Amino acid sequence: MSDRPSFAKGVRFRTASDGSALLLVPEGALTLNGSAAAALELVDGTRTLDDIAAALVDQFDVTQEDARRDVSELFSRLAQRQFVLL
Amino acid sequence: MNEPRAMSILCELTYRCNLQCPYCYNPLDLENYRDELDAATWIRVLEEAAGMGIVQAHFSGGEPTLRRDLVKLVAAASQAGLYTNLITQGTFLGDDTLDALIAAGLAHVQISIQAPSAALGDKIAGTRVHEQKFDALTRVAARDVALTLNCVLHRENIDAIEDVIATAERYGIRRLELANVQFYGWAYRNRLALMPAREQVQHAAQVVESARERLHGRMEITYVLPDYFGDFPKPCMNGWGRTFLTVTPNGYVLPCPAAAAIRTLQFENVRDRSLADIWNTSAAFEAYRGTAWMPEPCRSCARKEVDWGGCRCQAYLITGDAGVTDPACVFSGDHARIEAMREGTATAAYEPRRMASSARR
Repeated sequence: MSDRPSFAKGVRFRTASDGSALLLVPEGALTLNGSAAAALELVDGTRTLDDIAAALVDQFDVTQEDARRDVSELFSRLAQRQFVLL
Repeated sequence: MNEPRAMSILCELTYRCNLQCPYCYNPLDLENYRDELDAATWIRVLEEAAGMGIVQAHFSGGEPTLRRDLVKLVAAASQAGLYTNLITQGTFLGDDTLDALIAAGLAHVQISIQAPSAALGDKIAGTRVHEQKFDALTRVAARDVALTLNCVLHRENIDAIEDVIATAERYGIRRLELANVQFYGWAYRNRLALMPAREQVQHAAQVVESARERLHGRMEITYVLPDYFGDFPKPCMNGWGRTFLTVTPNGYVLPCPAAAAIRTLQFENVRDRSLADIWNTSAAFEAYRGTAWMPEPCRSCARKEVDWGGCRCQAYLITGDAGVTDPACVFSGDHARIEAMREGTATAAYEPRRMASSARR
């Protein structure tokens, strides 16, 4: 997984004052759960999906295998909706 | 039921506009909104909005680019952490303005067209602007900002829907919003001329369905069936005072952009009170918030938290009472009035949207 995800035009990651995280997109907002927020917070166009998965292993109690699978699923879903570019 | 939580603010910066679209939802008494909020007040409002947890700021009007301080307001919104969206007809989007707006943090631009062809587009707009709009589209699409193309559909242009989609495709548009006209403000005044025939609406739905299939992954098309041809009302604003508020050019805070038409409510102004105070306690916001206000048939209806009683403004315009079930609902005692309203006529002429001059008053 060497893809380096970046946000599509008009897509912004935001953390609210109460700690909740949102992905703001044209005409909408997606509420993010903890691991999705942790993953999306790392999107900067230079980190790879592997880098992001590795960070989740450190942060949450998951195996590397599960983290890779979750990250891959999350980003392919977001790419399908044109919110991230892979 | 979820607690109300404001998520979006619609900033109607001005009702001035160089176009005269007969489907505009702005109020008829446009001249009463000339006393516009200054930049300092708008910036205070935007900061208050961010402070109460609002995440999106939409800048609209009228034509918001007629405000010379637009860039400053977009910058203030972005700095406050708000997602910024510009809703424009695109006739004043020069390169310099665009670049300044994007540098100020603008995330999304929504440009509206009136029709796919200049002849029809300029007729509906009441002025020659079609070419400028398409020029703006090209320049926005080339920049680092999201773009949505919008076209309001009504009797006069809905049959051109296939051509609207083809045009969007030609311009590489990724997001297309095909919005059936809603009958508020000028559109309500012009409803006889604008009301599409049922066959037109059905044909449009079929065209959209096949286009969605064909363009899957390339273009996202939003198309909502108008509620006056359906059985149930739209969940207007996702419920009155639940997630959304509008600030008018002169500072009044409304639960819905069309709500100023409801003469039985007293709206409050950001010049007098903070945005959060108005949202939390003003009588106008409390009036139809949640479900406790609902009369029958809403009160005992399984859909009451699906469509929230429908639209208060539509209920008021059609029945004179903002507190009854939206007549668009088949269970409404006033549903016959919606059925009667469906009878548009191809021969009716519309009145162009205009701000009355002081001489006319």
